[in-house]
Amino acid sequence: MTGCCAALAAAFAFLPVQAAHAQVFGAAGHTVTVQVSVITAVQVTGGSVNLNISSANVVAGQDQMTAVDQSTSLLWGTNSSGRKISVSTSLAAPKFTLKLLALNPTQGTAAAEVTLSASAHDLLLNVGRSTGSCTLRYTGVALASQGTGNDVHVITFTVQAQ
Amino acid sequence: MTSSRSRLLCVLALLLAAGSLTEARAQVSVVGGNLLMNVTTGTAGAQPVAVTNTTATLRFRRENVITKITVAASCPGQRFSLAVLATNLTYGIAAPQVSLFNGMLATNFVLSIPTGGTLNKTCTLRYTASATFAQGNSTELGNDVYSITYTLVAQ
Repeated sequence: MTGCCAALAAAFAFLPVQAAHAQVFGAAGHTVTVQVSVITAVQVTGGSVNLNISSANVVAGQDQMTAVDQSTSLLWGTNSSGRKISVSTSLAAPKFTLKLLALNPTQGTAAAEVTLSASAHDLLLNVGRSTGSCTLRYTGVALASQGTGNDVHVITFTVQAQ
Repeated sequence: MTSSRSRLLCVLALLLAAGSLTEARAQVSVVGGNLLMNVTTGTAGAQPVAVTNTTATLRFRRENVITKITVAASCPGQRFSLAVLATNLTYGIAAPQVSLFNGMLATNFVLSIPTGGTLNKTCTLRYTASATFAQGNSTELGNDVYSITYTLVAQ
């Protein structure tokens, strides 16, 4: 009886081993290397922005008039660490003031509202290795004493090392 | 001089024959060598664009029993993603695309390879490499190097 049990136990102990080792006829392999380049992508959606300061923006007794636009967004993607997004304008000597603030960024931290100039200013910080978006809030500022006219800006957004 | 030259030719012939036999007896082999896949572009607000490679082929032989092919991989320090799918199968049934990752168990790749038909069968290895922006880049982190093994086993 003891011998029979031992034989049965040995048989059951052997079964899983058999099941785990199906007959192997051969094997072959090779190496696949995956390389990911440094990728940076920036895009503005919503098209051009027109800020029109008119009589509707005037408050009696105040010299400063403003107009605000939040119709455009900034999209980005970068797989590099330690990155920020800066902004600059092509207009070296604007007559009026144009300010920009990044609203509700999905990644990173918005810098304080910047007055645009030909020099790069921080718009978003800590956006390294992320994909995200934010709303662009432009504010045009004119003083009544500055008279009338047009400023045409070409705005450039740059992802760069922080 | 003639004798030693003959001996040399004999040895060469034997070596060539042995090589051919080894090749002929290989039950499964990868044709196309090692691969390099490079993810180079991405979309703002989305992710880098995945790349595919279909230059490698898997050759395998029919057996006297129904067989299948499994795939396994190792990739120490894996950071990005790689998947493989059997396409253009001459015999058998392709399993769904297999995601390859370090330490994975052997996973079904081609199933129900019949006993009949031609001796040698093939399929194309369709690799898809992908990454997210959050996963970084090879310049900072290095490449992923996968050792991939295909095994022909009884089903």
